[in-house]
This record gives sequence, structure tokens and C-alpha cells, in this order.
Amino acid sequence: MTIWQRLSGLVTLRLSAVLTLIALALMVWSMLEPTPLPVMLAMSAGQGIGILAFGIYLFIVVRELVRELRRARQREPS
Amino acid sequence: MVSWIISNPLIAAAIACAAAAALLLVWYLVRRPALSHATKLVLLAGIGVLPLATAMTGNVAGYEATKSRQFCGACHVMTPYKTDSEDRHSTALAARHARNALFGEDNCYACHADYGMFGTITTKLGGLRHVYEYTFHYRNMPLDEARDKIHILRPFQNATCMHCHSTEGPTWNAVKEHASLLVRVRGGEVSCASEGCHGPAHPFSKPAQPPHKEQAP
Repeated sequence: MTIWQRLSGLVTLRLSAVLTLIALALMVWSMLEPTPLPVMLAMSAGQGIGILAFGIYLFIVVRELVRELRRARQREPS
Repeated sequence: MVSWIISNPLIAAAIACAAAAALLLVWYLVRRPALSHATKLVLLAGIGVLPLATAMTGNVAGYEATKSRQFCGACHVMTPYKTDSEDRHSTALAARHARNALFGEDNCYACHADYGMFGTITTKLGGLRHVYEYTFHYRNMPLDEARDKIHILRPFQNATCMHCHSTEGPTWNAVKEHASLLVRVRGGEVSCASEGCHGPAHPFSKPAQPPHKEQAP
């Protein structure tokens, strides 16, 4: 069993949700205080973290879909 | 703060999207629902759609913010330049342009931006270099020292002035000095911002110097 298969979907999605909240906080900070540090952080770290979080979400959802399809195929009479 | 957000529709939209996404995510983290189809859809909105909308509108708002004088003046070494631009009695070239409604709050960007197809990109790359230089060389420099040391990296290009002052108009050419220097101005041999013409652009402007380790952006 690989590390990807061992990752619990729920725990990973919670991590993804927390990462998204961090990314959103960085983006909102840059809009409320448009000075070089917040703007650069939002456009680099903020968006990077946001993309990572969305990537994790997609990975988990696609993995769940693949598992559901496999289960459905196994249930079908041969 | 609230009126400022409401007056800027992009920022208001971005903050509304961020707030909606945050609500969905906090609900998910607190309630910990099972991963049903409905939960997946809620998370798609909270992790995907709404943050993407925040990022897109936030990028545009952030880009617009980087053009403002407040943004340029956020680094302390730029304070004298910002203060002079905002001085309604200053007769420096930059201050006079700042009083022009077409330049207004964005007068630093209007004169220091590169124009042309990739002008915005090269200007932003130059801005990143400014941030690097400031962070690693000028962050702790006293203001008096910075005012004496900081100078423009390359000679100011007349092409920037000619973006608005095309040198083609009859009023412009009616000025004797303009007419006599027309070819040299267009060729960049004589700077519009030189002393004796319309310069210096700032009261403490210094000529461009070749870059070396100790120099300003």
C-alpha cells in the first residue's frame, strides 16, 4: 500500500480546507493593505498554497471516484 | 475602510468570495460531515470555485494597487519622492504631473513604466528587482543617506515622455527650443528631463550611473 493509498480522504481534505483558509487570508490581507510585502505574498505564497489545496481536493475526489468505479465493476456479475 | 472596500467593486467582490469560501470551510472543519456528494460539492465551492474567483479578482486589484503612488512610497527610501509628488507647491516635473488628473495617484507608474507590447511585464520584473534591492541593501539605510545615494538605474528615456507628448503637435513644435532640438529629442540625445529643459524630475534627482553592487535600483 503506497502512502497515497494510506492517506485518509477526510484528514487530507481537512488539511486542504486549512490550507485554503491560509491562502484566502493572505489574499484578503493584500487587498486590505496593498503594500509590497502583502501583495507579493498573496501573489506568490497565497496562490501557491491555494493551488496546492485545490490539487489535494481534486486528488482525493478523483481517487474516491476511481475507487467507487472499481467497487461497482466488482459488484457486476461476470 | 468599509467605504473604501465598497467604492472598489473588484475588492468588494474578492472579499465577498473569500468570506463565502471561509464560511463553507469553517462549517466543514467544525461539523466534519461524511464525504457525500453534497459535501464534495460544498468543498468544490469552498476550495475551488470561490478561492479561484478571489484570486482572479484579487490579482486585478493587486495589479492596480502596484501602480499607485502609495504602493511605491511604501518603502521608506521612496518617501522624499512621494512627499514631493504630493506637495501642491512643488514645481518639480514629477509633482506637476501628479497634479494632472490623467496621472493623479499613479504618477510614479505612468512615468517609470515601460511601454510597448511587453512593457507591463518588464516593468513588473523591474519592480521585483526593486523589492530585492530594498530588502537586501536598503532596508535599514537612513533616509538622509538614501536620498543622497539612490539614483535612477538607466537614463530616463524620452520615449516615455513621448508616449503622451508625441512631438508631432503644432503647439509643441511652436516652442523654439523644441523645434531646434527635435531630432536630438526624438533620438534621445537630449533628455526632456535634463536640467535646463524640464528637469530635474525630482528635486534630488541624480544622473543614472552604471550598476554595481552598492547601487540603488
